[in-house]
Amino acid sequence: MERRGNIYTYSVVRCGTEAFREMIPYVLAVIEEKNKKWMARIEGYSDKTDIKIGMAVTYLKDDENGNPIYMIG
Amino acid sequence: MRSVSVVGIGETKFGRFPETSLKELILEAGTKAIADAGIGREDVKALFMSNFSAQPFCGQGHMGPLAAEVLGLGNIPTIRIEGACASGSLAFRQALGAVATGMYDIVLVGGVEKMTHQSTEAVTSGLAGASDYGLEAGIGATFPSLFALIANRYFHEYGNVRDEMAMCAVQNHENAMLNPDAQMHKRITVEQVKNGLPIADPLTIYDCSLVTDGAAFVVLAATDVAKTFCLKRLVEVVGCGQAGDTLTLSSRNSLTTFAATLLAAQQAYAIADVAPSQIDLAEVHDCFTITQIINIEDLGFFAKGKGARAVAEGKTAANGQIPINVSGGLKAKGHPVGATGLGQIYEIVTQLRGEGGARQLKKADIGLTHNIGGTAATCVVSIFRGR
Repeated sequence: MERRGNIYTYSVVRCGTEAFREMIPYVLAVIEEKNKKWMARIEGYSDKTDIKIGMAVTYLKDDENGNPIYMIG
Repeated sequence: MRSVSVVGIGETKFGRFPETSLKELILEAGTKAIADAGIGREDVKALFMSNFSAQPFCGQGHMGPLAAEVLGLGNIPTIRIEGACASGSLAFRQALGAVATGMYDIVLVGGVEKMTHQSTEAVTSGLAGASDYGLEAGIGATFPSLFALIANRYFHEYGNVRDEMAMCAVQNHENAMLNPDAQMHKRITVEQVKNGLPIADPLTIYDCSLVTDGAAFVVLAATDVAKTFCLKRLVEVVGCGQAGDTLTLSSRNSLTTFAATLLAAQQAYAIADVAPSQIDLAEVHDCFTITQIINIEDLGFFAKGKGARAVAEGKTAANGQIPINVSGGLKAKGHPVGATGLGQIYEIVTQLRGEGGARQLKKADIGLTHNIGGTAATCVVSIFRGR
């Protein structure tokens, strides 16, 4: 995974599976960098956040399962 | 390869029947299909059974023998086929091949799903297993959110079609008003759809297909054999195509066109020697409203990026240029996952026979079904012609 990328597409998830219930609302995104795309969560979203396709994101940390989480900026 | 026809159809009402067992759903729809074909149980030489989630939702595996015993089919070979929401049409395609190659003359294809006794969260979790469990479901993806990713990308590439997405839901609900087997008999408005409970932006609850219990069965026969006993209009399967794609959504070159649909449709149209403009009606996989817009473009009914406008202009309505989902679709007839693809075939055969009652179309000679699994990682397109 790249440490930086841009949002290729995203969604604010407001109804989740049992395992992710506590995180709602959270942002799921496809991130693009150097012709590579991957899916990840973006942390730090609130309904005041102005989120758009093309925005830059940066690697923040891994979740407990080792999946990378990103933040806007 | 021999010509194959659909000679019998049967389905339960689609809906919320938490007290009804898998066996009861199978018995009703299977018995109807066999009776509709005008054959005896002993004439059925194999059973192809579609189901997605009986194991996690009902604790029941081994669906082939379960259904064969319920329907009294004796010692015939059975197999259960699974390809997420495309399971029904996958089973249909396997059965089609078995008859076309001469392995059997008459076979039964069935699909069943029982979901509504589970909580919405449990159903959402179960269905998420049709995505990549580690790379998608494991990081918080749900099916609505995967199609929301597709919708937002579609807005970016072709413009905001939020209103037209809502119109797909409105139209499918309108169609379902005339279908006695449909789960929903309720008109809705564009405003209601847009202001519905938010699920995964931009999708609200009204953009999502239903959680449904139900079963649907069809009987297939070699056309030459069917002619000796079939008293109804023969509905020949003139083309069937199948294609796949990556399970993970992010690995695709494009998220706004489904390569599996393009390829499956190309095969089906070529085998049938039919052009998209010749199709009288189609049942397309409207798991979410954005999907219906993408499907009618990918199937060649409208140019890429023009599907939404076609919906707004009424071209896909029951009285339009190409009626889409006159049954009500997954959105309003319902989406009992393993039965959905066969429910689509049920509608096309009903229309081609002229048995549609209040929702019967004036011209129905060539019909198409389009059924996808996951985010279109599996797709089957079938074309039917009334003889």
